[in-house]
Amino acid sequence: MNLWLLAANSIAFGGLLFLLSAGFALIFGLMRIPNLTHGSLFMLGAYFGVSLISWGVGFWLAALAGGVGVAVLGGLIERLLLRRLPGAELAQVLVTLGLSFMIADACLMQWGGDPISIETPAALRGASRVAGVAFPTYRLGVIVIAVAFAVVLWAMLERTRLGAMIRAGVDDPMMARAVGIRVPLLFTLVFCLGSGLAGFAGVIGGPILSVYPGLDQDMLPLALVVVILGGSGSLVGAFVGSFVVGVLYNFGQALLPELAYVVLFLPMLVVLVVRPAGLFGRSSP
Amino acid sequence: MANEALRLADVDAFYGDSHVLHGVSFICGEGRLVGLLGRNGAGKTTSINVVMGLLRPRRGSVAVYGTPVAGRPPEAIAAQGVALVPQGRRIFRSLTVRENLAVAARKASGDRQKPWTLERVFDTFPRLAERRKQYASTLSGGEQQMLAIGRALMSNPRVLLMDEPSEGLAPQIVAEVMATIRRLKEEGLSILLVEQNAKLAFDVADDIVILNSGRVVVDAPAAALVRDKVDLHQHLGIY
Ligand SMILES: Nc1ncnc2c1ncn2[C@@H]1O[C@H](COP(=O)(O)OP(=O)(O)OP(=O)(O)O)[C@@H](O)[C@H]1O
Ligand SMILES: [Mg+2]
Repeated sequence: MNLWLLAANSIAFGGLLFLLSAGFALIFGLMRIPNLTHGSLFMLGAYFGVSLISWGVGFWLAALAGGVGVAVLGGLIERLLLRRLPGAELAQVLVTLGLSFMIADACLMQWGGDPISIETPAALRGASRVAGVAFPTYRLGVIVIAVAFAVVLWAMLERTRLGAMIRAGVDDPMMARAVGIRVPLLFTLVFCLGSGLAGFAGVIGGPILSVYPGLDQDMLPLALVVVILGGSGSLVGAFVGSFVVGVLYNFGQALLPELAYVVLFLPMLVVLVVRPAGLFGRSSP
Repeated sequence: MANEALRLADVDAFYGDSHVLHGVSFICGEGRLVGLLGRNGAGKTTSINVVMGLLRPRRGSVAVYGTPVAGRPPEAIAAQGVALVPQGRRIFRSLTVRENLAVAARKASGDRQKPWTLERVFDTFPRLAERRKQYASTLSGGEQQMLAIGRALMSNPRVLLMDEPSEGLAPQIVAEVMATIRRLKEEGLSILLVEQNAKLAFDVADDIVILNSGRVVVDAPAAALVRDKVDLHQHLGIY
């Protein structure tokens, strides 16, 4: 067993999870919507990427376009469905769960039941040496992308007026509206952003995970664990949580394959009991 | 009409099934300060919530400078020039002092003489300037109240709603808050001030409106109530 490789894969997988979970954390933190379509949006992005690439679009453009396409779909879901169910968490859970089944069916119809792999972009094939150890170049690329997105998202959220408005909406939505912030518009924006990130992550994850029916249900619990560990609405929490889960999941599968899910979910249970707001979450006021 | 900053007419409001406001009507004239009094649970905050759009009245109308606003969302009512200093302050805890002010900023409409800007709020409340980079949750109660007032002013309102701004503050801070309110009034701002402390309200108010169990029981100029030595005990409890 190559521990270095396992560690590198864990970190790359953590980066992918961050792209997936950042949106889930923002949507859950700001809008208190447990968006169970999030895994489906990831899978849909990946399938969009598959089609685009098969039509001759380059990998990176396909990833961007997949993200944008899924962002638009997310915006529609928010505007047409979730907007009508404010505060009704059970209804939101059921609607988003139902949608995830519908998306899964539609994908099965459109792209079939066989796993489809997305080829690693040519520039990032092979291995690179970092500190004398060989790592798959593409996975290093995924880590770089995740860190870049984390920095940009963090700066947007913590260093701009728009970000401050979003945080105000998380702190106290009604008061935010009373000071003139158009919280409903921000909700749509955040939902688009979060969905788009998931779709983008789907394509980026393609060369590592490939795309197959059930990918949605494989990814959703991971996003859930990340957000519960890190705390909803906390980008830093999603970042740290993603790498923790990436490590737990990969090491669990490699070292204790029978207990992989125990290794993954046990820490979540402990955190839920000991620190319900998550490691980096703020308990709601 | 033009000199009416705020008018509530026959407002009924409910929380679920519980009927809290019963046909509440009163006016805040332009540049005037209305003290809204009443015991705990009389419906003062509910009235404020209705004006701000935080609670939709089931009946009746609310007008801001003649524009009907009842049933509109809070952000639209804020755009009409209404700002709120809420009970309990409700500052944004995970924002810095500066951010709390910045997110509420809105350009002054047209002819405003001295518009409120970040600089002007910091001039008015120097302690906020010192703490501009601190998270709002680290402020003392008095500083949080200053921040809540500054945040409301950042939208350059025409009508300011203040819900018990002296609640839970040390006497010296209360005096500071009341001095600020006086200055805002001198600048011509129309203010609806909710107070538990009737004496404070009588010190600054032009008009007094008293609610009892969700009904207006007194609506008169403060000076007239004082002159006629009207006994308000039955409506206000003991002070
Ligand atoms: N969110 C709510 N849901 C249900 N009932 C409420 C709610 N808020 C207030 N009430 C009830 O409505 C009535 C009026 O409350 P309101 O907050 O307007 O009183 P208030 O005059 O502001 O009192 P206080 O001086 O204590 O702030 C009270 O009987 C209160 O219990
Ligand atoms: Mg009150």
